[in-house]
Amino acid sequence: METALNATFEVLSFGAIIVLVVLGLGIVASMMGIFNFAHGEFVLLGAYTTYLVYSAGLPVWAGMLVAPVVVAACGFVLERLVIRRFYATPIAAMLATYALGLVIRESVRGLIGGLYVSVPEPLVGSLIIGGVRLPKWRLAIVIITALVMVGSYLLLARTSFGLRVRAALENPSLARASGISTNAIYAATFTFGAALAGLAGALVVPLFSLSADLGVRFLIQGFLAVMLGGVGTFEGPVAGGALIGVMSAALPWAVAPVLADVLVFVIAIAFVKFRPGGLIAARRL
Amino acid sequence: MDEENGDRSAAPTMNRRCVLQSAAWMGGAIATGIGSWVIPPKWASAATPIKVGIATDLTGAIGYAGNANANVAKMVVKDINNAGGILGRPIQLFIEDTASNESVAVANVRKLIQRDKVDVVLGGITSSMRNAIKDVIVARGKTLYIYPQLYEGRECTPYIFCTGPTPAQQCDEFIPWLMKNGGKRFALPAANYVWPHILNEYARKVIEKNGGEVIFEEYYPLDQVEYSAPVNKIMTNNVDVVFTTVISPGVGPFFKQLYEAGFQKRGGGLSCVYYDENTLNINAPYEIEGLASCLDYFRAVTRDDPVSARIQAEYDKEFPGKILFSAGSAATGMYRGLKLWEVAVKEAGKLDRDAVAAALDHAKIFEGPGGPAEMVPGKRHCKMKMYTAVAKEGNYEILARSEGLVDPKEC
Repeated sequence: METALNATFEVLSFGAIIVLVVLGLGIVASMMGIFNFAHGEFVLLGAYTTYLVYSAGLPVWAGMLVAPVVVAACGFVLERLVIRRFYATPIAAMLATYALGLVIRESVRGLIGGLYVSVPEPLVGSLIIGGVRLPKWRLAIVIITALVMVGSYLLLARTSFGLRVRAALENPSLARASGISTNAIYAATFTFGAALAGLAGALVVPLFSLSADLGVRFLIQGFLAVMLGGVGTFEGPVAGGALIGVMSAALPWAVAPVLADVLVFVIAIAFVKFRPGGLIAARRL
Repeated sequence: MDEENGDRSAAPTMNRRCVLQSAAWMGGAIATGIGSWVIPPKWASAATPIKVGIATDLTGAIGYAGNANANVAKMVVKDINNAGGILGRPIQLFIEDTASNESVAVANVRKLIQRDKVDVVLGGITSSMRNAIKDVIVARGKTLYIYPQLYEGRECTPYIFCTGPTPAQQCDEFIPWLMKNGGKRFALPAANYVWPHILNEYARKVIEKNGGEVIFEEYYPLDQVEYSAPVNKIMTNNVDVVFTTVISPGVGPFFKQLYEAGFQKRGGGLSCVYYDENTLNINAPYEIEGLASCLDYFRAVTRDDPVSARIQAEYDKEFPGKILFSAGSAATGMYRGLKLWEVAVKEAGKLDRDAVAAALDHAKIFEGPGGPAEMVPGKRHCKMKMYTAVAKEGNYEILARSEGLVDPKEC
């Protein structure tokens, strides 16, 4: 029983981590129609910023507060300089963002000397409730992910900013005719996506250690999640992320780990075959 | 303020020699292409220089290790040249980047063989890299190849000499020590590639021969970062010793989850035989407190071995910074490889491949990082001292050392 509860928590927390990472990717993919291949490196930048602030002698949580802002700023600059030139050609946009990601990754590799560096958790230790061990920081990530998810949903679904974002996606010319600057909206959406990536990187770096390849693994899982969840909605990628995270953490409990890794992909691909639009295909929100 | 002025006056001013030197260097760099470095000796003689090729991962995922290898090669070659070279000839160093990428590597190593016509090649860090470049060097290239990294063994190709530790060297003394200090119930969580598979095969034999038991041996995808299932298995099966070969990026989260589950708190022993000074920072020190490793060298050895202390000090002086001189990244194997080859060439009296290989077959050095080393005749592998070290508050402490030189038991 305790093992089962422990397992449930571990699986849930990894699901939360993937959701957190996928959130920014999903928003940019769904609201802008751009697959941001540099998303993993934005996560990395968030992690790196946290590390820099921490190694400057400030507390880790300060770094985690700064990271989304710094990464958002980077995202904004890159959107203005590079990404906005590719809205008409999504395929070229993938290549452009991939190139940006490569530059960021290799620069960080140079800066940290190609090594792995540990960043401590702001909350050390575990809570033990009824025999179930809950590492505090993983618990914090689950809670923060839930809050960020709800916050992002409300922002996109309930505010006038969200309405304009969706308008710019649905019908850019009509949105412009109605006096919405789609240019500014795209920039803001991309910046928001980058900020979420930065936050994700900052929160997960204590669990995975900082290294230049931190984002690569999450990028692949993120794309699988977006594909599985369906592009075009807010809930789609989030649900996809949760499913991928839960599957990758839960399957190794049941089958050989090497098989589990492949099985996640097989299940995801089989699912998309039968439901090409993904889990949540309709464009509602 | 004074210090600043002092520094400035000490800085080299541009003079004719300086210009010539950098022009020569630049010329070399341009002529050889990107990713190639030629380091000419400081002196020249009537004799043409001996050409030593280094093929190592200067860039890419394991660049930190490759750069350490290149640094060690520069240091050793400089020392040899300062002492008059070999057979009265200076050594010229050719460094090629293998870029942590086998297909790039093959093309670059071909340059060493076909264009630069080097007399020996040292390098390669991963086994997949060695397998990719060895044919270019020894079969088609008809050149001697020295492989410096700890590895799974079984490389018995003629003209390939291995100067890093093998499974026997890393297990024969270490596993009995683990059983004495940890317990008899072992878990072997591992990354799914060739080195862990063959190392575990050997480790299992040693464990069972000594009356221990392998509770489980399991392989994970190389990029797996979530280890709750194996950690749970370790905890519920009362495993005494975790002998892991999980590699980065997984090893950090794995150790963290193991620590969070309370493995060390209930007396579990942690061990990982590639752990050196470079990997200490992956986790917070308390998460890997007590982790045991077994290698041919640790920085801690310098405390009571003056030769190691001298080599380490020389390296630190020439290459201060993040690129460390450590055993896990093949830097010590590179040192031994170059020194053994020097001895062999001196004995052979010429650079002919067969003559040098015959001399290298029984070459010995009395001074090296961690102690002396000697090739086992007919085996093309190297006997060396092995050390068992344990992580204590972010540093290693040597807790056991081999009596003499440990046999590689290969080929």
